[in-house]
Parts: sequence; structure tokens; C-alpha cells
Amino acid sequence: MAAKKNVLEFISSIKAQKRRELSELEAKNLISLWGIQTTRAELAHDVSEAVKLAREIKYPVVLKVASPDIIHKSDVRGVKVGLSSEFDVKHAFEEIMANVRAYKPNANVLGVTVQEYVPPAKEVVVGMIRDKTFGPTVMFGLGGVWVDVMKDISFRLAPLTRDDALEMMLEVKGYLLLTGTRGAPPADTEALADIIQKVGQLAVEVPEIAEMDLNPVFVFDKGKGAIAVDARIVLREG
Amino acid sequence: MFRRLFKKKPAPKPRKHKVVVKPKKPVRRKPIKSKSIRKKPIKPKAVPKRVAPIRKVDGVKALFEPRGVVIVGASGAKTGTAPTLFKSAVDNMRTYKGKTYIVDLNREMEGAFKDVKKVREKAELAVLALPQDLALKNVKKVADAGVRTMVVSPSYEPAQRGALLEATRQGVRILGPNSAMGVINTRTGLNTSLAREMMLQQGGIAIISQSNSVGAAVLDLARIRGIGISKFVSLGDKIDVDETELINYFSNDSDTRVICIGMGDVRDGRKFVDALRAATKKKPVVVLRAGITRLEDKIYDAGFKQARAIRVRDVEEMLDVASALAKQPPMVGDKIMVISNAHGPAVLAMDAMHCEGLTLAKLDEKTAKGISQRYPNINAANPIELGIEARAKQYELVLKNVLTDPNVDGVMLINMLKSSLLDVDDIRAIAEVLKKFKKPVVDVAMGGESYVSVRDVLEGANVPVYDSPERASRALRALCIYGRVKEKTEAPVAPKIAKKSKATKKKAKRKR
Repeated sequence: MAAKKNVLEFISSIKAQKRRELSELEAKNLISLWGIQTTRAELAHDVSEAVKLAREIKYPVVLKVASPDIIHKSDVRGVKVGLSSEFDVKHAFEEIMANVRAYKPNANVLGVTVQEYVPPAKEVVVGMIRDKTFGPTVMFGLGGVWVDVMKDISFRLAPLTRDDALEMMLEVKGYLLLTGTRGAPPADTEALADIIQKVGQLAVEVPEIAEMDLNPVFVFDKGKGAIAVDARIVLREG
Repeated sequence: MFRRLFKKKPAPKPRKHKVVVKPKKPVRRKPIKSKSIRKKPIKPKAVPKRVAPIRKVDGVKALFEPRGVVIVGASGAKTGTAPTLFKSAVDNMRTYKGKTYIVDLNREMEGAFKDVKKVREKAELAVLALPQDLALKNVKKVADAGVRTMVVSPSYEPAQRGALLEATRQGVRILGPNSAMGVINTRTGLNTSLAREMMLQQGGIAIISQSNSVGAAVLDLARIRGIGISKFVSLGDKIDVDETELINYFSNDSDTRVICIGMGDVRDGRKFVDALRAATKKKPVVVLRAGITRLEDKIYDAGFKQARAIRVRDVEEMLDVASALAKQPPMVGDKIMVISNAHGPAVLAMDAMHCEGLTLAKLDEKTAKGISQRYPNINAANPIELGIEARAKQYELVLKNVLTDPNVDGVMLINMLKSSLLDVDDIRAIAEVLKKFKKPVVDVAMGGESYVSVRDVLEGANVPVYDSPERASRALRALCIYGRVKEKTEAPVAPKIAKKSKATKKKAKRKR
């Protein structure tokens, strides 16, 4: 219950600013209040702050542009990963700023977020939409082309049982990628099911959230958990 | 409707008292008295809003179990199909065991009343088999005559439905508009459908169809296949009575064992899925829905899956699956044994089961031994091939062994007549054996004539018979999905649960 109270307080602070769309940082804060694991991220307004934060978070780190006007950060080349030294961070910071100026000159840029780097894993997408007749609905898909090109996604109405969450993974065509093929170890589907269920529960308990997109969620090998690497949340109007 | 409720409500009490305490006779008179008192104040006023939920349930009941029916039509009208449809409805109602009143606004039909006022209080259900404009004009008249549940057969553009919507606001229950196929109750012979020649066999399958034509096609197919129907309803444009309410009604209807729905979009998806979920806890629900190319269909599909409803691809599968569900117990698990007297059909069966996501059962050693000791020529694997020389006694021994094997969840029995020594007498003997067991069995008799002769025998033993292993596999899949409903009641959310991989889940299933 404490989690719900914290989430609601957090949401009213955003609403007080008359905003509906949460920044990546805010979205991550919100879901971590709900118990969904996310990569640590902090906002740096300038390059010296970025270096300081990188040291705090520990190398290697990831830098992502922070701007309310930029949703798809990699489209403007606003993401740099695997930065393992002060030099890298400084360089990446300048590069991101230059890219954003070139691709989206009018964007209001707050700085960059410095984020914990996570090793490569199976990438999936967990989302939530509110269907006008079915209400809160959770979406699942495998990352990248599986969702974008193949439209290989599955849905379940929230709230979800454990079986619902596991079944919606089974339903996508690329499911075998999660079970581990050609000697690859299976992914931690239990941790993923946990995230799916929590997203559903959040949707049910907090109607203020209109849309949610955890993309990507990194799913590690069995027993090693899963973590939301990026998050997007839109609040209800009014 | 309203009054009936009041009358009904106090009724059970006095009965109870009557049995327990003797000198309570006056109590018995009480409800009767209250009825006559209540009659007056309720009449002139529109039904008050606060009782709406109670009245609603009753409205749907009055669709299928009215105390009397009035068919309102206009014979000989110059335009449209309404007069013909009116006549069909009147013809169809000849089978009705209750009272039917006919009102012909054009005063031509023999024995018909001229005005709905004449049937005041006598009927609970009205069928408006009228042209568009006349139906709108008569809705209020019919309601004023005390008939507060109506089937409206003509169709309207949304903008034209004012009078109908107004009536529903006054508490009138409307099925339709555009419900040309109306309602059917095979137990009472109630048949307000405007389709011609619709004699149905009584049975356990209820059908809800949004489309008149699809509904009519399902009934027609059921008729020639000898599949029994409990009730039928065509929803049409459903400005009032909808799927959700009907599912609730049918899930409590003792004549109905399986609910079939042919649908498009619903108004409130959430409520619909909740109703579906509650219904499948009591009886299987089969769903046919058009529109798979649209993204939103994925959400519908999710709802069906979460509610454990069985989605089918076409009308044929709907009836195939429904008749299996009506006749056979739910299948706990997905391991199927195929028993066949011919090789080709058995191989096709293997493929078909793979396509439906079923698995092949592996016999317990004891079972295998029981078969091979008696018939060394028979390989007790899967499929169990009996050979073209097999007769009833081979089938009998194998069935007895297989149907008691804990590793087998269901059986697909294949008996080819033309290419073997098997004949109809053997099938009769097999039917007797099957009657003794409770595990799900479906039968395949490929072909035309032989299918009919096998079906005629086995359906008597409540074993569904199909003319292909593919169709039989779909029936088995449905029995399997329904079996899962019975598995366990899950808590809606359980974030912390011990590991439960696919393998352990299967194990759990096996245990049961």
C-alpha cells in the first residue's frame, strides 16, 4: 500500500506541473516505486555533473539525452553506451549535444541522464494501454524487429495471473528465443512474468496512468532477473 | 414484469410457512392481496428507475420463458418483406406450448386481434414483425398494453431508433432491432424466428448470434446434423439486451450445457469478459468472432483466453466443438491416444493433433502388456493400429485397457468401415463398451455413407462422431481447454510465487 501512496504522490507532483508525459527519469522512478527493477539513472545538466555522476554510478555508464521534446532518443543519436572513462563521458556528452542540435535544433534540452550500464541480454517489450472497451490491457513482445516488423505481440487484460503472464510469453512466435536455443541458457521468464504482472497491477490500481511502455526490458539468464532499461509513461488527461 | 416480480417475491415465503407452521393460512392470502393492491399504483406510472437491475434479469427471462406471446404484424402491407416474415413467425409459433396471440394491424389474418389493447395483460413477450415505421409507432402501444419485453425485427439507422431508446428508458426490454431470427426455446416450442421451416431438435446447446444469417445457418446445420439446441437468440443491433446479459442468463439455464456465441464487437468489453469468466466456471462457452485482421481482435482474443472460452474459426467448428462439449466430460490434460483400424487415417490424425497443440499419450507398461499379451500382432504404441481385420472384440479389449490408463487423457477412436472387416454391428458393440467409461472419447469415421452409419449408432452412446481426424482433433482441443477451467482457481495477482516452469506445470497437470 505504501507503494501505491508513493506512486500517487509522485503523479500529483507531475500533474501540478501541468504535464502528462513523464521524462525517462521520472518514468523509471515511478516504476521503481512500484517494485519494478530499473537501471539507475541521474540527470546531469552539464558535462562536469555528468562526470561526477558517472563516478558515483560506476563505470561503464550510458549517456542519454534528456529532453521533454525527444521521445525516441536514438533517432536523434542521443544515446551513447559502454562509456568506461572520464574521457569517454566528456566526449559522449559533447557528441550528444552536437547531434541533438543537428537533428532537433528546437528541442528543449535539460542535459543528459547518466545511467548504469547493463550487459547485453534478451530484449523484450512490456507495455500497457487502456482499451476503450476492455480497459487496462498489458502488451508483450520480443524487442526490436519482433515488435516493429513482425507485429509479434500478445495481450492480456489486467490484472493478470501468473499463468496469464507466462501464457502471453508462450503466445509470441519468437518464444523459443526466451527458452534458450542452440546451447544458449534459458532466460529468466519468472522475473519477466513478475514485471508483466506488476505492470498489470499498476494499471489497475493507478488509473491516472494512461499508457506505459517499458522498452526495452533486459531479461537475463534464468535466476538472474530482468530489468527495465528504458521507460515511458503518459498520464491521463485532466 | 415489474408486477410479476412483486408477486413472485413474497410467494416462496408463505409456502415455507405453510409447511412448517400450520395455523398460518392467512399468510397465504397475503401475496394475492398485495398483488391486487399493487396493480393500481404501478400501472399508470412509468416504472421507477431504482428497480432497474432486478427488472433487467427478468426481461431476459421473459424472452425465453414468457407466460404468453403476442405476434404483432401487418398482413398485406404493400412494401417490404415484413408481411411474409410476419406469416413465418405465426407459422413457427404453432409449435409453442404456451399461449400465442396474433395482432394483425390490417385485420386480415384469421383469428387475429385488431389491436394490441385486446391482449392486455395476457402476454409477456411481443414480437414486432412489422415494417420499420409501424414498429416504431407500436412500441409504445404494446408497452402500454402491459407487454414489456419485445423482439424488434426491422432494422434502423442509429438516428431512427429514438422511439425504441425511449421505450427502453421506460423500462421496456428490447431484443434487436434487426433481430429477425428472434428467440427459440426448444423445450416449450417457442419460436419467434422469421425463418421458414425451422424444426429443431431439443438438446443442450444454446446459441447467441449477433447476425441473423449466421444464426440461421448454424441452426440449419444443427438440424441436418441432428445436434440438439436448447435455446437460440439473435441479437441484431442490440440497443438493449446484449451478449453479456444473455451469457449470464444461459450460465444459469438448466436446459443449457454449452453456450455458443457468434459475435462482432461488444459495448463493454470488460463486463463481457467478466460474464464470460463467470460462465465458463459453470459450463463451456464457444466463441466465433469475425475480424481477426484488426489489432483490437488480439485484445478480444486475450479476453477469450483469460476467460477460458473456446474460440473457433468457423460455424462448422462451432458445432463440432459444441457437440463434443455437450456429450463428453472435460479433458484433464492433453495426452491423446489414437486407436485405429486403418493406417492412413491414423497418420492424418497425428498431424491434426500436432496442429491443435495436443500431445500423444504414451501407454503405461502394464496397459501395453495387457494388449500385446492378448493380441501379439497389435503394437501397443501410439497410434494403436488394429489392422483391417479387427472386429469389435479387439476394439473392446484395447479400449478397456487404454481408457483405464492414467497416462491417457483422451482417446481418438478411428473406425473405417469400407476398407475393413468392421461393420455396423461391431460399432454397436463398441458403443456399449464406451458407455462404461468416463474418459473423453471422440470418434472418426472418414467418408460419407460410413460416417452416417457410424454416427447414427455412436451418437446414441453420447460419443461425437466426425468425418475427419482434423475435425475430431479440434473437438479434443476444446475438451482440453475446458478441462483447464476445472484445474484450479487462481488468485488474480500473485507476485511472489515459487518457480513454476512449463515442465513443472505439466507435471502438476499429470498429477491430477
